[in-house]
This record gives sequence, C-alpha cells and structure tokens, in this order.
Amino acid sequence: MESLEIYKDLFYQSLRIRLVEEKIIELYPSDLIQSPVHLSIGQEAVAVGVCANLNLDDWVFINYRGHAFYLAKGGPLPEFFAELMGKKNGQSKGKAGSMHLASPKQGIMGASAVVSSTISHAVGAALISKIKRENRIFVTNFGDGALEQGAFHECLNFASLHKVPILFLCEDNNLAVHSHKKERQSFTLEKLVGSYGIPFHEIEEGYDFVKVQKLSKISIDEVRNTKKPVFLKIKTSRYKEHVGPGEDFSAGYRDKNDINKWKKLDPLLQDKKLYESFLGKINNEIENAVKFGLESPLPDREDLLSDV
Amino acid sequence: MSKTYKAALLEAMQEAMDNNPRSLIIGQGVTDFKGIFDTVKGFVDRYPDRVIETPLSEDSIAGICIGAALNGAYPINTHIRADFGLLIFNQLINLAAKYKYMFGGLFEIPCMYRMVIGRSWGQGAQHSQSLQSLMAHIPGLVVVMPADPKSIIESYRYSIQKYKGPVVMLEHRLLYELNFENDETKLSHPIFGSKLEIEGTDITIIATSVMVLEAKRAANHLKKNGISVELINLHSISHPDKKIICKSVEKTGKMLVIDTSWPAYGVCAEMNRIINEYKPSILKVPSNSMGMVSTPCPTAKALEEMYYPDVHDICKEVIKMVKKDGSEINLPKKISMTDFYKHFKGPF
Ligand SMILES: Cc1ncc(C[n+]2csc(CCOP(=O)(O)OP(=O)(O)O)c2C)c(N)n1
Ligand SMILES: [Mg+2]
Repeated sequence: MESLEIYKDLFYQSLRIRLVEEKIIELYPSDLIQSPVHLSIGQEAVAVGVCANLNLDDWVFINYRGHAFYLAKGGPLPEFFAELMGKKNGQSKGKAGSMHLASPKQGIMGASAVVSSTISHAVGAALISKIKRENRIFVTNFGDGALEQGAFHECLNFASLHKVPILFLCEDNNLAVHSHKKERQSFTLEKLVGSYGIPFHEIEEGYDFVKVQKLSKISIDEVRNTKKPVFLKIKTSRYKEHVGPGEDFSAGYRDKNDINKWKKLDPLLQDKKLYESFLGKINNEIENAVKFGLESPLPDREDLLSDV
Repeated sequence: MSKTYKAALLEAMQEAMDNNPRSLIIGQGVTDFKGIFDTVKGFVDRYPDRVIETPLSEDSIAGICIGAALNGAYPINTHIRADFGLLIFNQLINLAAKYKYMFGGLFEIPCMYRMVIGRSWGQGAQHSQSLQSLMAHIPGLVVVMPADPKSIIESYRYSIQKYKGPVVMLEHRLLYELNFENDETKLSHPIFGSKLEIEGTDITIIATSVMVLEAKRAANHLKKNGISVELINLHSISHPDKKIICKSVEKTGKMLVIDTSWPAYGVCAEMNRIINEYKPSILKVPSNSMGMVSTPCPTAKALEEMYYPDVHDICKEVIKMVKKDGSEINLPKKISMTDFYKHFKGPF
C-alpha cells in the first residue's frame, strides 16, 4: 500500500511536469514565450525521483534544460510561467527566462546555458558547507555532453581531493544537440569516475520514477553518510527536439524506434487510468498559473537597469 | 610612515582574514613558502580551513569561488599572472558578472579575483599582459588597478567588507617591492572612483597602475622646466570618476592618457569617449595616448625597452602637446623602467 502511494505521488509530480511542458508547446506558436525552451519531456522521472530524496535545504545546480528540476524541487509554478513570458512577476523579473531558472528558497540555484558551467558552483558550495560543518548535500545535474568539458574533470578531482558532500548527477539521454555519445566520447565513464576514487552508480530505467527514487536514495544516502562525492548516471530519453517545442525524427539523426521502445515503458503514457484521474486537478493548477503570467505586468526600465 | 605595495597587500589580506570570518584565500601557491609574493605567507598555519591550495584548474576554481560565495563565503582567488586569469573568463564573464542580473537579483556573488600583471624583467608574451579593458568592458564586473599602498588598503577593505559583487584587482608586479611615502591624496571612492594625484594647469595626464608613478616622475621633471601637469590616477578602470576627469580636462584643455596596456579599445579609448560625450570642444589640442606598442610583448630586453613607454617618452609627448614657445627643455635620461625600479630582482 505504501509503495502504491509512492507510485501515485511520483506519477502525479511527473505528469504535472509533462503537462506544464505540453502547455508550453501549446502556447509557443502564440509567441507568448519569446525565448528558447529545452524541454524535459521523457526525462521527468529523473528529476522527480531524485528530488523525492532531497530536503528543502539541499541545493541543486541545474542547466538550461531545467524545467523538470525546478518544478520537482518545489519552484513555484505561477512565477515560472510569468518568467517564461518575460513578465515582471516572474521569478527573476523576466531577465532569466527558461534557460536560467532559479528559486533559492527551494534550493534551486542558478541555471546556466553554458554547458558544464555550474558543476563547479555546486563543488564550491559543498566545500563551504563542509568548512561550516553543515549537514546538507549538494547536487549538480548535467547532461552526457557536459562530461566532455575540462571543467567537469577538474571538478571530479577537486571534489574528491577535498571530500565534499556532492552528488554528481548525469542525465544521460545519449545526445548532445544532434550528436550521439559514441561520436564524442573515447572514455569509459565508470572507469574515469573510479580513477578519481569516486563511487559510481547507474540507473538504466530512467523512465521509472519509483526505481529512480529508490535507487537514487542509495547514492544520496551515501553522500549524506560519507560526506563525500558520489556519481550517479541515469539513462533517460529526450522525446522532443533539442531546443524548441517540436519533434525532429524526420531529420534522420536518430531512430524513432528507440524512443518508441522507451515510450512503451513510460508510465505516464501507459497508465491511462491514473493519468485521467489526475488530469483535471493538474490542468486547473496550470490554467491558474498561466493566468498569473498573462496578468503580470511587463518589466520596465527600472528593471532593465537594476541588479547589475 | 612609508610602506611597500606588497606590505599593503599583506595588510589587506590580514585584515580580510581577521575582520571578515567568511574570507577564504584560494589559489595556486597560497600555502607555499612564497605565499603569493609574501602577501599571504604563513596564513595557512593561522587559518588552516580558510587558505586553500588548489589544483591547476583555474576554470573550475573560479566557479568554486562562485559556489562558495553563494554559500556565504568571501572567496579571494589569486592568480600570480593575469595571463593565467584568461582561463577563468568563462566563469568570470558568463557567470560571476551576470549572476545577480540574470536571476533578477535572487543571488549576489561577493568575491575577489586578485591578478598580478607580470611585467618586469623579460616576462615575454604570456607573463606580462595588462588585461584590464577586456574585463572592464563587462557590466557586472568591477575592475580596479591600485597604484599605491593607501589605495590598496581602502579598496580591498571596501570590497571585502561592503561590496556584494565580483571585484577584479589587478596588481602590478613592478610595484610590489616599492616603498611609498604616506600621502594625503584621496580616492573619490574606494572602488568606483579615481584620484587627483597632482594639481596642475597645463595638461591633464590620466594614468593607470605603474604608469601613475612614471607620470609622477615626468611631472616632477616637467615642473622644474615650467610645465604644470595635472595627474589623475584612474584607479577604478570599470568605474572611473568622470567628474574628476572632465573637470580637469576642461581646465587644462589637454589630455594625455597613459595606460599599462594597448591603446586601442582600452582605457585610452574610453577616456576619449568620456571627453567626447561630455564636451569635445574642451580639447584645445588633439588628445594623445600612450601604452604598449600594438604587438605581443617581446622578451628581449632591447625590444621590451621600446615596447613600453617611460618617463622619457612621456616628457617628450607632453612637451609636444604643451609647446611652450622658445624654451628648450631637456628630456630626462632614458633608463629602463625595470632598472629604475631596481628593487625588482627577478626571476619572476
Ligand atoms: C560551452 C557550451 N558549448 C556548446 C553549447 C551549445 N549546446 C547547448 S546544449 C548542448 C548539448 C549539451 O548536451 P548535454 O550535456 O548532453 O545536455 P542535454 O541537452 O542533452 O540535456 C550544446 C552543445 C553550450 N551551450 N555551451
Ligand atoms: Mg544529452
């Protein structure tokens, strides 16, 4: 019974993220959102499963594909839509948009659109946490493409050397824009991470939020208990184009069958009954949030010049 | 009471550690026996948690400083050569400079990046550069070039204790060993201001860092020969005091800008922009700028001497601009600046 409750709860949260992004797709042609969006559709279970094990004061450092983590960690939805619409009541007064989501109250630190550039921020925050003898952990979330950046390797080295409480969380959708991992990487991740003395874990079933929650808990508990870095890679699948609201299977760089296999396992698509039972409530929340965004005033000249 | 430039840096760092328990000194060599040219020497024994030696990973260390600042620390990140600071430009420009604005004021990143301009004794193309204008160009960064001990004490204290954003301090290696007499001149603001060093009537010289000293030597020589120089120490490269600058040039009608770097798109260009946008008619003769020759820095001493302007070259330019009729003025002897500031004894 308890596990059914967990399933339902995580299902609800994942579905909420998916429906929010589907709302973005619906709104996009109207030009209400005039900036790039990197959708997490297909990848929701990673954020939901991991964040289920995080406390409010644990910090996550995310990137431009950040809707799912922002929502899963508790970022407010009305301010999210206002932010995407470039409105004054957005979390960051419209200066951030989709690519730079943040909400420090819930421990969602700034998202950067430069690949791999917030990993070191998580390491630095964790370092101070250790010096201050705090009891919380830090999560840096990045894609498989970020693994190729020098800064990532520098961070593994420093985090391990200084034994800081951080979870390196790789969301592996096998793609960086349109290029596959095998076109880009010559190293074996597990060995690489291992060579820094950092424990490596992997979750294959990135579509299964319950499994992600259960298995990521092991990694997260390990960070909490050892107060040292741990690496967790979660396999996942990006259903949409790299950036934008559409699909891009016709471009020919990837096989639609791979995604279809994944979709067959995706509870949000398979469990129609539960889907239907949550739909009304979630849509209601989304409509209200969109309304909040629509009604928010535009930022003004004072906003343009402030916060430098 | 006199004090060396590096003694002032040591004092500023000491004050940072004692008066601001959040201060963290982090960089390559901060725990070694040289201690960033003696400015943090021995600190690790006294503050073992707060002085952090780093791997050779400039990029991530700069980012680690941002994360540390987010979690309440005041990181002071050292680079013994500004040239190595180029490796932190992603974090400095894309992240630190924008963190407050990009997130609409949700975060602040109080931190300091100390970078040493290595110009001295044969440092060549990659150990000598003055990169202030690259950084001062970026909104969200404060870039300061303190030219004397008093400016160091005031600007470091203000940055560390009061200011809530990233500050880049460009320290000049040639100045480190020099002894300065205590003087009465004042910065108009510790990090958003400049300083009127010498009052005069014939020409305004605006100078940065070590060139303030060289300009002072020139002003002394010229004074003996009847030319009255007004000298402004620019100090804050990103936020110079436009009032002091415009008022002075309006008074003298002549502007010579002397920077430690290349004139194009830099401090020299910016000073001209300020005057042109204020009132171009105040210039009675065309403005003039001096800086490094527009080539990379050569290592050979013979070439290095031609590469940087010095007191001799400054006097020559001033005389050309002021053109006091009839009187012949002797130029000071051309001696190498690194020889003159002989206190510098290499090799680094
Ligand atoms: C430093 C940098 N290089 C290139 C880009 C362009 N770019 C944006 S997203 C992306 C792919 C990143 O792939 P990955 O890390 O796997 O994340 P994903 O988009 O798959 O979530 C690239 C190359 C960038 N934003 N930053
Ligand atoms: Mg990817």
